[in-house]
Amino acid sequence: MNAVMKAESLSKRFTIYHGKPRSFQELWVNMFRSSAREDFWALHDVNLEVHLGETLGIVGANGSGKSTLLKLLARIIEPTTGKLTVTGRVSALLELGAGFHPDLTGKENIYLNGALLGIPRKVLDRKFDEIVDFAELERFIYTPLKHYSAGMIMRLGFTISLSLDPDILLIDEILAVGDASFQRKCMDRIRQLTRHVGATILVSHDLSLVRNLCTRAIWLQNGTMAADGPASQVVSIYLESEARRYQTPPNGDTQEMPGPVQETPASPGPG
Amino acid sequence: MNRLGEFIRYRELLSTLVVRDLKLRYRNSLLGFVWSLLNPLLMMLVFTTVFTVMMRNNGTPNFPIFALIGILAWNWCSSSVMASVNSVVGNAPLIKKVYFPREVLPTSTVLSNMANFLLALIVLFPLLLAFGIRPSAALVLIPVVIAGQAIFLLGLAFVLSAVNVFFRDTLMIVDVLVLAWFFLTPVFYRIEDLFPNYTRLMYWLNPMASYITSYRQILLNGEWLGYDFLLRTLAISVMVLVGGYAFFARSAHLFGEEL
Repeated sequence: MNAVMKAESLSKRFTIYHGKPRSFQELWVNMFRSSAREDFWALHDVNLEVHLGETLGIVGANGSGKSTLLKLLARIIEPTTGKLTVTGRVSALLELGAGFHPDLTGKENIYLNGALLGIPRKVLDRKFDEIVDFAELERFIYTPLKHYSAGMIMRLGFTISLSLDPDILLIDEILAVGDASFQRKCMDRIRQLTRHVGATILVSHDLSLVRNLCTRAIWLQNGTMAADGPASQVVSIYLESEARRYQTPPNGDTQEMPGPVQETPASPGPG
Repeated sequence: MNRLGEFIRYRELLSTLVVRDLKLRYRNSLLGFVWSLLNPLLMMLVFTTVFTVMMRNNGTPNFPIFALIGILAWNWCSSSVMASVNSVVGNAPLIKKVYFPREVLPTSTVLSNMANFLLALIVLFPLLLAFGIRPSAALVLIPVVIAGQAIFLLGLAFVLSAVNVFFRDTLMIVDVLVLAWFFLTPVFYRIEDLFPNYTRLMYWLNPMASYITSYRQILLNGEWLGYDFLLRTLAISVMVLVGGYAFFARSAHLFGEEL
């Protein structure tokens, strides 16, 4: 099979400065202080290959490195060590409607957002009607965005992103768009995209979505890969471990988890 | 070079951003685009009042036009510099969420201010005729001078926008420096009058002085520029651009984390 994306022992370290000099004043003050910084490995030694036609889901608790991995794939940040090879055009849906401006009309924003995502103007011209139609915004397309409802803005943003013809589509937890029928339309669209071109990589806490949409999933835990396999299987492993985490008492000495899976000290955060 | 190629591939984004800036600048104002023309004219009025009515000993011929040329070129410079400082930091949400060559941001601020400058030139030519000044063949050099100023301002924009990511004091410092720079630039005087002993040095150190003097020499006096003068100014500008771009390119990969 063709690998469209290959990560070899990919690691990302963030340096947490306790009081990072944001100004000359702080820089000056910190010069006389022992450096108050701390390293934090958001991702550690991740090996991953994504193949043509795959829809890969990434699951894991908050702070497990899912978004860091997506940002690396999207080239927003660079890996500290390791190698990342990507063949083809990546388009990242990390945020809907990037660069949308409230004073511009829907139409103007389509062209602005499209340009940011790297969609050629000609393609936008060709797909303009289709975008407006899909987003169900025919009546409002010449209205400034500030008069749109939140749902309309989300729909517009999502639709523009889907009009890309990416080789690899990255999606970060943004499928909670619009009403049920619009969501179904988006799902169909993503399935269709994945079937015709490249691969999709999806981060989500919505496990039923991962199970339904993804052919394969990985489970990230504290920046390392804890499981990799068919989506339904990985989701069940992940769910089991989460369930166990809630059941074991805080000082529980029953360490029965297999392999690289470790007890996370974090309490379940809100949301 | 790879980087530069990618930048060029994103030129549609660049033009879209420039058009957005121009559209947004006047979208909610009553007079809209007219302000691009009205603002320099009003400033010309202020300068002329100050320097010919309030301070009478001003012998510069055609002072209103003389001042207007300085104001237009200077406005392009100061507004580009001030806007470029925040061009990367102000777009932090974009940089953290979307990949695109970051060079596009400072470049678009310089170019949209350049477009504004070009529009404002429209008022200049009728005024030149009104003051009885005939355009000369030297006018063909104007695009060269404009390109030179754009190159210089781009270089500055790259440095300032990148530095501001790491040190947010940049804006406050630049704010003061631009004021000092304004007084050291011949917007309402001639270098030869104020710095008779340091004329060469002032031109060397301050490409804006050279550019403003060049515009005046061509538009006001209808004279050709000395080639050494023009080439030296262009050479300094290109050096600023190369240095600025190199600095930007080296630090751009950190933007996603720093912001």
